[in-house]
Formats: sequence, C-alpha cells, structure tokens
Amino acid sequence: MRTTQGFWYVPMMAAVLLMAVPGCSKKAVQSGGDAQSSQQAATQGSASADAGSSGGGVGSNFPDTSLSNRDAGATGGLRGLDTVGGGKSPSEERVTNGAMMAKLDPSQSGRQMDAIRSEQAAADAAGLRDVFFAYDSFAISEEGRQALSRDAEWIKANAGASLKIEGHCDERGTSAYNLVLGEKRAKAVRNYLVELGVSAGRVAVVSYGKERPFCKERDESCYAQNRRGHVVVKTEK
Amino acid sequence: MRLKTCLLLTCCALVGVIGIIESGATDVFLEATRPDFQKIPVGVIGIQNAGGPEWLGGRLEEVLKSDIRRSLVFTLVDVPGLGFKDVGTVPNPAFKQAAENGASVLVWGKAGLKAGDKDADISMDGFVYDGGSNEVVGGKRYVGSSSVVRLMAHRFADELVFRYTGEPGIARSKIAYVSEQGPARELFVMDYDGYEPRQLTADGFLNLMPRWSPDRRFLVFTAYRNRNTQDIDMIELATGKRWTLVSLGGLNITPALSPDGNFLAFASSYEGNSELYRLDTRTKALQRMTTHASGDLSPSWAPSGRELAFASDRSGGPQIFLMSADGSNIRRLTFDGDYNAAPAWSPRGNWIAYVCRTPKKEYKLCLITPDGQKKVQLTAGPGVDDSPSWSPDGRHLVFSSTADGKSQIYMINADGKDLERITFTGVHNSAPAWSPAS
Repeated sequence: MRTTQGFWYVPMMAAVLLMAVPGCSKKAVQSGGDAQSSQQAATQGSASADAGSSGGGVGSNFPDTSLSNRDAGATGGLRGLDTVGGGKSPSEERVTNGAMMAKLDPSQSGRQMDAIRSEQAAADAAGLRDVFFAYDSFAISEEGRQALSRDAEWIKANAGASLKIEGHCDERGTSAYNLVLGEKRAKAVRNYLVELGVSAGRVAVVSYGKERPFCKERDESCYAQNRRGHVVVKTEK
Repeated sequence: MRLKTCLLLTCCALVGVIGIIESGATDVFLEATRPDFQKIPVGVIGIQNAGGPEWLGGRLEEVLKSDIRRSLVFTLVDVPGLGFKDVGTVPNPAFKQAAENGASVLVWGKAGLKAGDKDADISMDGFVYDGGSNEVVGGKRYVGSSSVVRLMAHRFADELVFRYTGEPGIARSKIAYVSEQGPARELFVMDYDGYEPRQLTADGFLNLMPRWSPDRRFLVFTAYRNRNTQDIDMIELATGKRWTLVSLGGLNITPALSPDGNFLAFASSYEGNSELYRLDTRTKALQRMTTHASGDLSPSWAPSGRELAFASDRSGGPQIFLMSADGSNIRRLTFDGDYNAAPAWSPRGNWIAYVCRTPKKEYKLCLITPDGQKKVQLTAGPGVDDSPSWSPDGRHLVFSSTADGKSQIYMINADGKDLERITFTGVHNSAPAWSPAS
C-alpha cells in the first residue's frame, strides 16, 4: 500500500502542477482574445467564486482552515455563570448573531436553468433517446442498446455536435453513493456509444445522483423513470 | 487520566496492536458521558416578563426548557407552587419544597426592555440556585436586539451545561443543510432546533453536502459550477465570500475537513473512478489516498484525526471501511447486509453512524463501534434515511428522512430515543451537517 501510494504521489503532483500552471496562462490568452467572455468570467467570478482559482486543479489562494491559526479565545467565550450573591448584579454579556451576515446575490440563478432548457430543446429536436436502468444497476439493457444505436446514428450524422450524458438515480440509497452510481451509469452509456463508433471526445458525462429527479412520487413507476442515462445535446463548451 | 491514556496508547503502539485506539478527545469530557451518569434534575421556575413585549418571557422560557431537555445532561422537574413573587423572598420556604420534589438545581430569570441602547434593546437576567438553598450560586445578564432573543436562552442553557459538566453545550450549535428552491438546491444554515433558517447560496443549480470547518467559520461543499463539472467550494458564513478549493474535473464530492482543519479529504473521479484524496489546506498539496478500480467516497475523520471511515463498493455493494490518515491500513468494518454507506464518526470517537439497508430493503441509520464489535440499528419504519451527522456533544444525530413523504430533517438521540422532526418549511430538505460547538 505504502509503495503504491508513493508511486502515485509523484506523477500526480506533477500532473496537478502541469494542470494548474498552463491552465492559468491559457485562460489569460483566451481572455485577451475575447473581451466578451473575459467580462463574463469576471462577473461570474464575483457572483459565485473567486475567479483566481477557477482555472482547474486545486485552489491556491483560499484561506488556511487550520485551527492552530486562530486565536483560541475568539471562538470560545464560555466563561460560565458568574458567582453572584448578596444582592449583586451579574455581569453583562452582549449576545449577537454576527457570524451569519452573508448577503445573497441571486442575479446568476436563472442562467443555469436557461442553459438546461436549451440543451433539452436541442435533444428533443434531435429525437435523442434515454437509457433506463434496473435498481442498483448500471448495466445497459437490450432496450437501452436500441435507444443508443439511434443516438449514435444522430451524432455521426451531425459532425459538429457533442452529447452530454446525465446519470440519474431514484431516491433510494444515500445522496453521496447515488452520485457515484449516477456517474457509473453515465459512463456505461458513453462506453456503449464509443463501442458503436462514436468518438469519446464528443460525449461528456455528468452525474446528478438523486438530486434532479424527473419524477417525484414514491412508487416503482416513478423510480424507474429516475434511474436513467439522460442524453442531451451539449450546447456550450 | 490523560497520563494513563497516553501510557496505554504507547503500549498499544509498542506491541503493534492494530485496532481501535481510543480517540484523544474522549478524556476531555467528564462524567456526563458515562453510561451510569444520572441526569441532574432541574426545576425551571420561569422567565418573568419585566416590562418587555408580551411574548418575551414565555418565549425565553420555552426555548430554555427545550434546550435543557435536549441537553440530556438535565431532566426537567415540575416545581409547582413556586411563583415569581416568591423568588426574591429570603429565606424562601418554597425552595425547600422544590428540593423535596427532587430539583437539585433551580433556574429562574427575568426579561425586559433595556433603555438607551439602540443595538441591544432586550435584557434577560438568568439565575441559578442550588436545590434547597436560598442563595443564588450563578447568574448572567444577556443583552441584545429582539432578533437574538432565542439565542439569549440558548446561551443561558449552554452555560448551565458548562457549569454542571464542564462541557460546552449544543444549544448554540448550527445545522447546515440543502434545501430545494424551485428547480435548484441551495445551502442553508439553521439553529440546532430548526429555527432561524438562513439561505447562504443562490446559484440556481446544485450545491450539495455541506460540511463545517472546525472553527465554524466556513462550509465546504460540492458546487456544480456549471452543469458539467462539480467543484469543491468553500464559503465564509460571515461574509458569503467563496473560494474554489478543488476543480479537477469529473465528480468531486463529499468533502470533509480534518478536526485540526489541516486537511480536506474528498472523493474525486478525475483520474477515472471515484477515489479519495486529501488536500493540505496550508501547503495546497494534493495526495491520493486510495487506489482501487471501484468507487471510494464519503470520508469521515475520527476525532483524533488519525483515521478515517469511508464508503467503498470494492466488495460489491457499498460497505464501510477504515484507514489511517495517510491512506494506509485499509480494512473493512461492516459485513452485515449489501448496502452500508455515508459513515459519520462520532466526535467522542466511540461510534460510527451510517446508512444501512435492512433485510426489508429499507434505508435506515445504524451505529457500529470502530472495532466492529457492537452494532445497532437506530431507526426503523418507512422512509429513506440519509446523511447522519453527530451533534458536537456526541449525544444526538441529525439526518434526513422521507418518513413523512418528502425529505425533511430529523434529530434523534444516540440511544434511539426522542425522534424529533426539525424542518417544517420547504418541500425538500436534506444533507444536514451539525456544526462544532462554539
């Protein structure tokens, strides 16, 4: 185990460095060449996350979360009750809720849904079909193979297009494990498309686990709809 | 005590015994964790309204009593015949009566308006008497705005717990969770009793599985930056400022900061399948912890920081495994059933909670000791239970369940008693994470 770990550690660190360094410079070049996208990136950065760390890899400028860096008194403050008696008043403590002052910026919140609608519309127009899975399974059924043959024909006929496979699960099981299962389903779909001759680079995968169900009732017919590899047309890079 | 534990640990290390090492955190806690611990009977005389809004005294009293009940350190004793008018009378025969009723601690307070302070217009005095005595043995005056009235009662309850056990109470702890907002799922934080929910993100898509930093300043969570990749983000509660910690591509889920805050453990599929990694939050160095063709996820740190529990489907269905903090010494912990996932190591170190699939194919909460010797099923009945998370005192768990239809958040004692639903608004609340104590 130890040896294996050491073996992985060196190339992985190298990979992270390689990803991080040129990732940033590439981004700068892109920004220079396309004023609009650079402006967009900056807006998104301020609304959602620190723009300096969105280039891929591991963030370099987030604050240290070590407890040792904190003033021990800053988070505690439990001094216990005062000993009072003989008509004395207890000491006064100011109670504040100051640690919860975050302001929301909902200005970007509609953007994702607009993009989803456009992906879905493109998939509907192309007549793409989804794949459905058995409980606990990521094996592609005969019916699923037929659906994917049709999807493969479409992508081969549309040279510029890319697909995205969303892996979905029913509500049973844990949220976390269903994300892993959803990814296995999405990758099983991609692998079968590749077997059919589609270039892997034209098929992206994403897992939504049980977080974006198609159907919200609690019965098997609904669960069956949610165990799905949902095939959509990728509308943005 | 501490010395004895150290000697034991040294012995264990010397003879090379692999197995369960008592967490370093256990010897911090006092007698309230012992199985033979007798709850301290408390009589709450009440919170007298002394010129505040009509609801003030009653609300403070209600919050205080709930906190005292949930502390599991105290038990509430009825103190009939004791009115506010009696409190100031010394000597007070009613106090003797209350002591004879079994109350070994008496609590009363008064609350009203505070003049001449625009930021703190409410004032509450809390007093403690030892049973049978006429003398005040402790007290504090809390001042603040009317928006922190519940917090004043929580503060007083925590100080009562601290006075009698030496432990911080949980009444001012928070629960982070995910709530459905239209088509999106966003992060929220609420008080431990389900009150004062507050929305933290408004990205309009998916933010999942929050976990606290040990100093309670930050949450780490999975953020769908766009619809194609998941990153691991961190948000500062006080400011709403956000950082991307991990943006490797693929699935990046189940982040968990170590008890000292020095490492972020998480699962990522960027090298193929889901594996566990740890990021040093000081040097920003990334280290891979698992190497296996199946899915590894959901790391949960032991309170000592020396070990982690995690879920892996390397044996078929998901099971709980343990490993050392450097990724070595991986061994399987659960063997019953074909689906055990979402482990959560108790802050006292003595239990690991997880989601177990029962023979009836129901997803319920189970507990297992880290040596695998003892196992109990904690919840039963219909509904999918998910995402167990421990209270900082290790006496309660919070989790999500669909027992009432849609997913909501519930609290339960570690002994399976006092199941209590704590979210009532919103159509879908999930992924609760209990904060450390303040």
